[in-house]
Amino acid sequence: MEHSSASKDVSRRGFFQLTLGWLAAIFAVCASAVGAVRFLVPNVLFEPSLLFKMGKPEDYPDGSVTFLEEERVFLVRQGNTFRCLSAICTHLGCTVNRTGQGYNCPCHGSIFDDQGTVKSGPAPRSLEWFSVTLSKDRRLLVDKSQKVNADKYLVL
Amino acid sequence: MADSSLRKFYGWFTALGLLVGGLVVLGYYKDEDREWKDYQRKFIQEETRRASTPPQRAFAQNMPVQIRQILLPDLNRVDRCTTCHLAVDDPSYGGYPQPLAYHPLHEQHPAERFGCTVCHRGQGRATDAADAHGNVPHWDEPMLPLRYIQASCGKCHEAADNPAAPELARGQQVFEESGCRGCHKLGGTGGVIGPALDKIGARHSPEWLKQHFLTPATVTPGSAMPPQRFAEPDLEAITLFMLSQTGETAPGYYTSMKVIPSAGVGQRLFEQKGCIGCHSIAGKGGTIGPSLDDVGLRRSPEWMIQHFREPKAVSPGTVMPQFGFTEDEARALTDFLVHLREQQVTMSLPSAMTPVERGHEAYRKYGCAGCHGPDGKGGVPNPNSKTAELVPDLMHVAEGYTKDELKDRILKGQHEITALDPKRPPPPLYMPGWAGTIKDAEVDDLVEYLFSLKPKGEESGF
Amino acid sequence: MNGSLPKRIWKWFEHTRVGRSIFRVGLPQSNLERAQAMVSSFLLHVQPAKVNRHSLRASYSLGLGLISLYLFLILIVTGVLLMFYYVPSTDHAYNDMKDLQFVVSAGLLMRNMHRWAAHLMVIFVLLHMCRVFYTGAYKRPREFNWVLGIGLFLLTLGLSFTGYLLPWDQLAFWAITVGTNIAAYAPYIGPSLKYLMLGGNVVGQEALIRFYALHVIVLPAVAGFLIAVHLWRVRKDGGLSRPDEPGDVVQQVELSQLPTSKTYGLMELARGTTPQVGRNPEEEVFSWPHLIFRELLLFLFVVVVVLLLAIFKNAPLEELANPIHPPNPAKAPWYFLGLQELVSYSAFWGGVVVPGVLVAALVLLPYVDGKRRGVGRWFARERLVANTIFTVCLVVAVVLTIIGTLFRGPNWSWQEPWKKPPTATEGH
Repeated sequence: MEHSSASKDVSRRGFFQLTLGWLAAIFAVCASAVGAVRFLVPNVLFEPSLLFKMGKPEDYPDGSVTFLEEERVFLVRQGNTFRCLSAICTHLGCTVNRTGQGYNCPCHGSIFDDQGTVKSGPAPRSLEWFSVTLSKDRRLLVDKSQKVNADKYLVL
Repeated sequence: MADSSLRKFYGWFTALGLLVGGLVVLGYYKDEDREWKDYQRKFIQEETRRASTPPQRAFAQNMPVQIRQILLPDLNRVDRCTTCHLAVDDPSYGGYPQPLAYHPLHEQHPAERFGCTVCHRGQGRATDAADAHGNVPHWDEPMLPLRYIQASCGKCHEAADNPAAPELARGQQVFEESGCRGCHKLGGTGGVIGPALDKIGARHSPEWLKQHFLTPATVTPGSAMPPQRFAEPDLEAITLFMLSQTGETAPGYYTSMKVIPSAGVGQRLFEQKGCIGCHSIAGKGGTIGPSLDDVGLRRSPEWMIQHFREPKAVSPGTVMPQFGFTEDEARALTDFLVHLREQQVTMSLPSAMTPVERGHEAYRKYGCAGCHGPDGKGGVPNPNSKTAELVPDLMHVAEGYTKDELKDRILKGQHEITALDPKRPPPPLYMPGWAGTIKDAEVDDLVEYLFSLKPKGEESGF
Repeated sequence: MNGSLPKRIWKWFEHTRVGRSIFRVGLPQSNLERAQAMVSSFLLHVQPAKVNRHSLRASYSLGLGLISLYLFLILIVTGVLLMFYYVPSTDHAYNDMKDLQFVVSAGLLMRNMHRWAAHLMVIFVLLHMCRVFYTGAYKRPREFNWVLGIGLFLLTLGLSFTGYLLPWDQLAFWAITVGTNIAAYAPYIGPSLKYLMLGGNVVGQEALIRFYALHVIVLPAVAGFLIAVHLWRVRKDGGLSRPDEPGDVVQQVELSQLPTSKTYGLMELARGTTPQVGRNPEEEVFSWPHLIFRELLLFLFVVVVVLLLAIFKNAPLEELANPIHPPNPAKAPWYFLGLQELVSYSAFWGGVVVPGVLVAALVLLPYVDGKRRGVGRWFARERLVANTIFTVCLVVAVVLTIIGTLFRGPNWSWQEPWKKPPTATEGH
């Protein structure tokens, strides 16, 4: 094995230069990789928003369960309390129908009660409730990214 | 890597490595440092300051700093204005300085349904103020100055019937009265001497449009359009009306809002649908149904709306047909009837008009005034024409033509205008033929009207 | 100290099990290992284990070919990233450009890097061609490599041209309208060529998707393949050209004059064109580290320049493409402006004959000019005629391009760029 001799040793200055250079270059590569990933993370979505207004409280009669087709939710009003129930069956994602005592799914026969709790059928979980708040301009604001317990209401 | 001959490069390597690292950091920093983030932080501060309970304060503090956008696929727009204009839907921010002000029309035109640029123009996809407001190179649609905002109402609403956009209505009125249609087509009807105006508001700035009225030739070289003399409010109104002609059509949901349930619309509908055939107002009209003069005192608005929806259900045994009005149309008609007494409506009913009156309407409708002046009085320049360098007035046509000759002239037009001085450019304005545009019955009425223009008391004959 | 800190960390890593499984040859300690590092590496083996000292001289090659390659790599990386946001539909393309600028993190930076690297690549491929000409490096045995290079130059122009349309703004739309109209002047095949390029008669959705397909897959794949062959040929033709190459000197050697040693007789006299012929061991150094380190430095330098441009200068984006509103004047991309200037004199002679003759001349050059004089030196005296002709053509091309860029205004009339243009009376 041949070794080139003393020229193999790096001077102190060379040491720092090389170290610094490599650190900077490696940092740049890592930062660029992080930057490329950040580039690919979308800042805006072109899907229907998870946060939407559903009209005025007065638009919903007392004791009503109103189905909103596009957003796939039910708005439940009882007195002056408001809740929002997901209409998406937890089995395989079909839209459930309202029945007298609750909800049922036409696809595989899951049955849910008034509170969205699964009573029978293949659905593994209860229907989800979404957060309802009042917006600044007095509209019902539903946030499908915020799931809440069945006992959470908006009280006006 | 240690080698003497490479040692001379180590310094370069360090420098370049640091430069690359530094530039990557700089690029990242420049990208992250966005104007809208500052505005959102200021908003969070303001919300925190206004919060009166700890949960409210926590809620304000947790507001995410992110781009907000309104997707409007029907309008083919994406508006990101609410990234900085964060309080457009919050009435408690009324009167705040921009960008945190509440939008006064939010109830009628909620931002989540309409976005912003459909009325205000500008560049909705931008996320910094300068680009979003659109007064930047290579963006054709800068924000409308606020004083011209009514121009946008015309995209969805009828110009004449919008109580919230009176200047737009005035602009349309000035347009019709000034006879612009004599040379310009709008909505398919009009003359062909000048260009059609259907998209004029999309291509030009308010300043250009205004200047074009005052001195057309400086703005459009070679234009035959005579300079217009408007009073300043009328000039602003007609400029605004021109701005409203963008050719942009709004789909279903938006144009169903076209009918504003106001009395003005109601009157128009009343005339259009022929209600006067059965009902009478101020003594004019049919007698099959009851007179409507006092209906506002006798019936409630709810009754009237229901009656429009289903006449037989409300008045059993009635022969009034069901017209199939939309809700807004029913409301508009109701509003008209309710306010009948107050407004002392004068109905200009086609069956009640004389030929001369109808002819006057036709004169107005086809824009004859654009060349022949208001009520045929003339005064519109036609440089180098033998007729005293003016478009001839029509006050004395009864003396120079028979009715048949006049009708012929209107239908065929006159394309050759004798020049005063053959060395100068030929006169720019000519009379187009109106056959096929003006209906035959209207031409007869028009002739009647023109014959009636002869000033009373003048000596007859040349 | 036997190495910088990163080197020591690396050495630790390469002795771990994972390290040894990936890197079969560690950081070279011996000359054997230095040779092995090049030969046994997938990425590096296109380069030889040893290179001639002369080839390392920056003043000789200026690294122009490498710079072109680096720019191509930068374009691929940024281009692929941009593909995640750009949709080649006339309804979406322009809005996607706006979104890159406004809502995508580092979107503007990526787009700027892509555009400036593209313009730089056109320039540097041209400069590389000039260097190869001026050093006579197209001559035997490198004729075919020169032809490959001309092909790569045309591919570079094609890549730039197809990419130019994608933003779908006024600049893009009208540049491609002009460009494809110039192509239509070719006799017989011109109109069909334009029809094929556009997928129709107008620049519309069909043209956009064709240009996109060409730009992101067809042309890069062909260019990548040709680059591989190009580099392969550099190896096989004996490395970069240099002044004292074999084949310059034709010697008659008497077999009896050749030295013989006591134990070995002369086995065989090798002739021919393999890279082993004519190598001079005293003049050679190991590629690792001498070549590799210089290449690394050059890469850093190219990245610095591209980043600087991208951070401080935005790529242009005009209004949405509008077929009824041509700008006046409508200009082709800058590298075709010399051509557009020629076309303004005569569509046939300027647009078809002159460029056709030029390209043909370039391709045939090494087969016409065969004498191996003055190879390996800049502006060799023996090649005065050839150098002069080339320089004249180059200067004329550059001057025409400058005229087309700066000195042509509305209606292609002469204008002086330092004077203010007359105030526009139309619109706005």
